[in-house]
Amino acid sequence: MKALKPTLVAVVVLAAAYYAGCVDAGPAALGPGLGNATVTKYVAIGNSLTAGYQSNGLYKSAQDYSFPNLIAGQLRLAGANLPTFEQPYYSDPGTPGADGKASRYEIISLAGPVIGPKGLAPGVPTNLALARPYDNLGIPGSVVFDLLDTTSFLAKAGPPRNNPLFSLVLRNPAFGNNMLSQAAALRPDLVTFWLGNNDVLGYATSGGASPATPTPPATFTALYGQALDALRAALPNAKIVVANIPDVTVIPFFTTLGPKIRPSLPAGVTLRYQKHGETGVATGIAPLTDNSVLICLTGSAYTTYLGRPSGKWYRDKGYPALPPGIDTTQPFGFHPQNPWPDALTLDADEVNTCATTIAAFNASIAAAAAARNAAVVDINGFLNGVKAGGYSWAGQKYTVDYVSGGLFSLDGVHPSSRGAGIIANQFIKTMNASFGMTLSYVDLMSLPGIPAPVAKAAGGLPVIPPEAFAELEMLWGAR
Amino acid sequence: MTRVRQVAGAFSVALLLASQAFAGGFQLNEHGARAMAQGGAFAARATDGSALYFNPAGLGFQTTGSVYIGMTAITPAGSFLGPRQKNPSEKTTFISHTFTPINVAVTSPFMDDFHVGIGVNNPFGLGTEWPDNWVGKFLTTRVDLKTFFITPTVAYRVNDQLSVGAGLNYVIGSVLLERAVSVVSVALPEPPRVSMTLNATGVGFNVGLLYKPVEEIAVGVSYRSAVTIDAEGVASFRPNYAALSLPAGPVAASITLPSTGFVGVAYFPLKNLELEADLQYIGWSSYDELAVEFKANNTTSVSPKKYDNTFMIRIGGEYTLDMLHFRAGYLYDRSPVKTEYMEPLLPDANRNGYNLGFGYDVTDHFSIDVAYLFLKFDQREAVNTIPENSFDGTYSTYVDLIGVNFGYRF
Repeated sequence: MKALKPTLVAVVVLAAAYYAGCVDAGPAALGPGLGNATVTKYVAIGNSLTAGYQSNGLYKSAQDYSFPNLIAGQLRLAGANLPTFEQPYYSDPGTPGADGKASRYEIISLAGPVIGPKGLAPGVPTNLALARPYDNLGIPGSVVFDLLDTTSFLAKAGPPRNNPLFSLVLRNPAFGNNMLSQAAALRPDLVTFWLGNNDVLGYATSGGASPATPTPPATFTALYGQALDALRAALPNAKIVVANIPDVTVIPFFTTLGPKIRPSLPAGVTLRYQKHGETGVATGIAPLTDNSVLICLTGSAYTTYLGRPSGKWYRDKGYPALPPGIDTTQPFGFHPQNPWPDALTLDADEVNTCATTIAAFNASIAAAAAARNAAVVDINGFLNGVKAGGYSWAGQKYTVDYVSGGLFSLDGVHPSSRGAGIIANQFIKTMNASFGMTLSYVDLMSLPGIPAPVAKAAGGLPVIPPEAFAELEMLWGAR
Repeated sequence: MTRVRQVAGAFSVALLLASQAFAGGFQLNEHGARAMAQGGAFAARATDGSALYFNPAGLGFQTTGSVYIGMTAITPAGSFLGPRQKNPSEKTTFISHTFTPINVAVTSPFMDDFHVGIGVNNPFGLGTEWPDNWVGKFLTTRVDLKTFFITPTVAYRVNDQLSVGAGLNYVIGSVLLERAVSVVSVALPEPPRVSMTLNATGVGFNVGLLYKPVEEIAVGVSYRSAVTIDAEGVASFRPNYAALSLPAGPVAASITLPSTGFVGVAYFPLKNLELEADLQYIGWSSYDELAVEFKANNTTSVSPKKYDNTFMIRIGGEYTLDMLHFRAGYLYDRSPVKTEYMEPLLPDANRNGYNLGFGYDVTDHFSIDVAYLFLKFDQREAVNTIPENSFDGTYSTYVDLIGVNFGYRF
């Protein structure tokens, strides 16, 4: 029948169309790359943020997720010849505190939650035998001055620094007597440099008590300039990336307790606190309705004494006698004669000092970096944005809230592993823009969260025993 | 609240898909293989059971009762390059499934000038599935939708040239949605995965008229009302870490599916040649957001959508040679989704559809229609995606459809 041929043609055309439709959809994937750069050696210089210090301790399962180690991983994926990135590993549960036990905080109890060290035996260094300097030269507690200091780093384990981590990271003066010389010995073609935080954090975390001022900006500017000069002179062709200093108001160490105390203030009662330098009767009055007065996380154990006649603060600090004017029969924190202490508070002046100091430091960092052809990661601007609106990534949302926000570890200052991931991604973003690389970013949820007996995220007032802060005080203590 | 907000976002597309009739989402044109082969340009003719969808007035020009039954095999395929937030060149490909919706229409003359009909469209299992552990797992891993449109319809032949019609649309739908839930703070052995099943019902209506001013020309206008869908169901989490207080339990959502209108002109230059062009308007701007209420903790999670009104252009024709009908068509389907609102749940883009088909009159009463549609989505870049998604990248999608219908005229 004459319709048969057209019918067959139609069927064949349809069938062909159907199967031909199975074309591969989409453009080809190009893959991450280094652009025109080569990276054969990457060295990280910095402080505890660089070292991967988390939750008040240095331990391998956190060091694995230090932001430099994460950057090294992304460099490798892009084709860099970096078979290893050596770090000064300390086995879990990590470095010991003054009591000889591991200082790392854990979530001890869900009620509260109660957070603090668990009294575990400390770990041991596991990478001491490396026959060259580490690639990660981040030393917890280091300041800008330490980069150039040629005095014995071994002596920093004793007074006044009392910081044994210089010895852990630098090990042997034969490798070089500071971070700069050990970094230079490795001849890196890429360096990340993040110092300056401790020049203000010692002041801030001690409530402006000790040291009583941050590093003066003029001193900082001179030191930072010299440090970058020396780095550039030692490594004239290396790619150098520096980062600036975040504001204290983004760090949950300072912003957690105030909002939590406020609802528990009885009607009509405001917090009475000691302003900067006051040791006796206090003049500070804080309704805690805004961030003009910040309460340090070190105060968490003392919140339970608010409103009670308590002298616990003075006993804990070992005062031989109460300071003049103090009357511990008055309700603690609610009466000017038994005030919330200066050391647990950043009053408005101290907050302002931090803000102006950090602004000055960051201006120096920007100028110094520009003069020496180093790229700058604006961590300050980035974290201010995260504080304002959270940080969203592939359907996840992170905030700067203590524990629940996902970015900070249990000490409220150092980032968690996912926080380190976000920092690494900011460095990577800058490196891609400045060096023409196309590194891929770290998948944040592929990094581990804070270990916890699987539980509610912290909702109540966290309780951290005061002794638990001794390690942090050591890192930022007076020099 | 963050967790809850993240959990519910995925629900959106399902209800969107509840109406087969709409552009955007996985709207596909399988309302009878004859119309399908012609780009769905059928509102000015509507000469078979698919009138129940395209223009109820079309029944008024039909002279006999009919049964029209068919099925479509739909195979979407596609990939996503990104997200730029992680690796702009990482490629993830859909997990491909073939879905097989059916369409059924039964019509009959009634009294002198009336014609009634009732039909069911059953788009079985349309959906999108991505690999379980892909980087977008916190946005979506799987969407699976079933819907029924039950459409009792009546048409009235006013005179030789004009027919009007109206119908009720009773919509029953069910959807399954799955994704992982991100808990950013504490370490979990594995992220909890939420699975939500919801059932929805809704009622709408449609009206139409078909006017033939002269023998060679027909004009069709039809309108389908918005349908408010009330859905209820259950959300379950696995593992359900008790201490996280995940809101497992009853969920409810309500959205309004947009109205749509067709205007079509058909031209019959020869006795055996029919040509038609249609313009379809879809009022998607009524879909501003999707709110899902979790009864377990009395929270409502809102996912912004902000769809735009949009249109489709349909062109098609049919050439008859003895008992064979050769058909071809083209459709252009403009996406209602704004670029910043794109999400892997529903990788939408403007689409071009290329249609081919044929029909065979086996006997005077019995016919078979076959249609093929290749629907190519424009490759589309999602940029500056909203914070809820933060998932920039490039989507490439296409869909293969093949439809078969059997028709019997009394």
